[in-house]
Amino acid sequence: MSIFDAYVTKLAEYAEGMRGRGRQVREIDCPAAVSKLVEGLPVRVGPQASSGIILRGDTFVELGNPEAGSCAFILWTNSPSLIRDGKVTLIGPDIQESPGASLPFGQVLMVGGAGLSEAEHEVLDHSQYISDQIEGYMIRSTSQLMWSRVSKDAAEKGFCFETLGRALMAVFKSEVPKIEAVEIVFVTSGKEDLQPLDSIAAQVRKIAKDIVTENWKARGIDLLECTFGWDCSSCPDQPVCDEIKDLITVRKKQASKIEKAKS
Amino acid sequence: MSERRLQKLIGERDVLDVMVKAFTQSPTADDKLSAGLAEVEIEHHNEIIRCAEEGKPFIFSYFACAPEIYAAMDLPWYSFLSLPFTGALLPTLKDDIDASKRLFGNDLCTILRVSGYYIEEDLVPVPTAMIGLLHPCDGTTVLHQLIASNENWCNVPIFACDPPYWEDERSMNYYAGELKRMVSFLEEHTGRKLDMGRFREVIEESNKQYELWIEYNDLRRAVPCPHGYGLGLQASGVAQSNLVGDPRGTAWFRDLVADAEKLVREKRGKVPNERIRLFWFDVVSLDLSFDLFPWLEEEWGAVVVMDMFGYAPYTMIDTSSEESMFQGLAKRALCDMPMIRQARGVADNFLSDIVRVVKDYKIDCVVWPGHMGHKDGSANIGMMRETCRELGVPFLHIGMDLFDKSYTTIDEIKDKFSQFFTAMGLG
Repeated sequence: MSIFDAYVTKLAEYAEGMRGRGRQVREIDCPAAVSKLVEGLPVRVGPQASSGIILRGDTFVELGNPEAGSCAFILWTNSPSLIRDGKVTLIGPDIQESPGASLPFGQVLMVGGAGLSEAEHEVLDHSQYISDQIEGYMIRSTSQLMWSRVSKDAAEKGFCFETLGRALMAVFKSEVPKIEAVEIVFVTSGKEDLQPLDSIAAQVRKIAKDIVTENWKARGIDLLECTFGWDCSSCPDQPVCDEIKDLITVRKKQASKIEKAKS
Repeated sequence: MSERRLQKLIGERDVLDVMVKAFTQSPTADDKLSAGLAEVEIEHHNEIIRCAEEGKPFIFSYFACAPEIYAAMDLPWYSFLSLPFTGALLPTLKDDIDASKRLFGNDLCTILRVSGYYIEEDLVPVPTAMIGLLHPCDGTTVLHQLIASNENWCNVPIFACDPPYWEDERSMNYYAGELKRMVSFLEEHTGRKLDMGRFREVIEESNKQYELWIEYNDLRRAVPCPHGYGLGLQASGVAQSNLVGDPRGTAWFRDLVADAEKLVREKRGKVPNERIRLFWFDVVSLDLSFDLFPWLEEEWGAVVVMDMFGYAPYTMIDTSSEESMFQGLAKRALCDMPMIRQARGVADNFLSDIVRVVKDYKIDCVVWPGHMGHKDGSANIGMMRETCRELGVPFLHIGMDLFDKSYTTIDEIKDKFSQFFTAMGLG
């Protein structure tokens, strides 16, 4: 059992919930093997498949502009049976149906592998940003967002969310051999439909932060906490800590006075 | 207002004037872009000089204190750190650096030390009020102590927003509250008022600038890189300094993007024979721009494809309400501002930047200059090296002063680069 298992279940409930709200929900079954995933795709997939840049004027559709809405995260589990390998769920319009549009974009990647653990978390997280590995698809270089473009050339060749899903699955399975199953949910139906995903994402990010902290601790580096083993008497920074505690007390009293005055 | 206090500003303004003439005669597009910025800087210097001479309100601030608010209040402001930074234009900077060491010792960041020297020597105009900065480093707070004890500055009202350490909702709410307190302070001490309509206008314009900035950054991913060093920092300056929320700044970004797009379509780069793509993970100082970076391009075909100040996350600020604007500015000031966001927060802020930049920009090597004033970042050297090792990209830590060549000479730095590139099989 892994730390994100409950969220994998929540994603399934989310997708059903969208169906219940009358959103167009499509499920696409993709092959499992990497070679089969990329077979017949209209674009190249793999290192340096793309020049990396899609200019504004060459964009067929934009995904995840902050104004339209964006939410992306990855979940992993060491119980691959929880993941329906090869399944792509699309909630909302497809790329081919949206020429010139700026679509809201939710992307949830769920990967499963019996050998997966916290040690692989960062590699999995970074792998979402696929750089130049999908021809005609560019993820914009800004942190904190999944904001991407599909080129006109790629769209003309037939690029759609099945293409993107299969390409991502191929990339992940190639980069992290421990992955046995990949399932993806794409959401383009509306900004409001991303809000439940945002709530899940916020929780996932908190857990992810803890995982990163623990991974560094395992290497002997404490990213966040003081490093004197909680023994204040031997810590040279104790006077600073004490002063901060006094300041906090003063500020709380002031805040409390202001609150009382308001009421 | 004594002439002495305006000396530095006037001297710099006059040098900028000469530079504008040189830039406008240059055939290159990026020189023409620099000309536009230099003209704005001259205008800005003149405004501060005028305010100082006529007793009109103006403030001193840092660059990361939500200058959208000053712009919306039509409040002239000057950054503390500008003079020593742009002081590389003047022949006196080396003497100023040496003199500042005699006053403060040489373990304080040079740019802060020289700023302090200018205050102590009464070489800068005393403002109506000051917005301080309590993060990201101890050096900035030392400057405040200096000001409090300086006879000319000790009565200048000063306010500094209290920065939280984290980036959660509670932290953003808190800092948004601090920004509102800053507004009250400025209204009280300068007589200017923040009009919400104007505030919205400035932020909406600023949003356009940031959107163009990310467009430009995507273009720098091209191989070869369309532009060289320096423009990343300029972009940061336009978005967060004299042209924040100003349509002229947006026009500058449009020209920048148009030029870069043209070069990308033509597959032309700044350096015809680009062999090494660098991530310079710190400030691209003006002084180094006259020497080290041109040498890297000419000698090694090494282009600074991205630098710390050129890389900023994009926050589109929601202008639908006063609260959403303050929340958006809080996030931008704390979590987006280059250098501030890395050094203020957790070590992972440095590391996650390295991972994305290396991947997105096809970086061949990461350079941590190890500026003597960036000890906070230097505590991360081990982690940065480890991260680069996992990415399979070489990492160079220099150990230098970005502003004082006597700390580590340019020849020493060039030698380190040459040895590093050779050892790593780069170029």
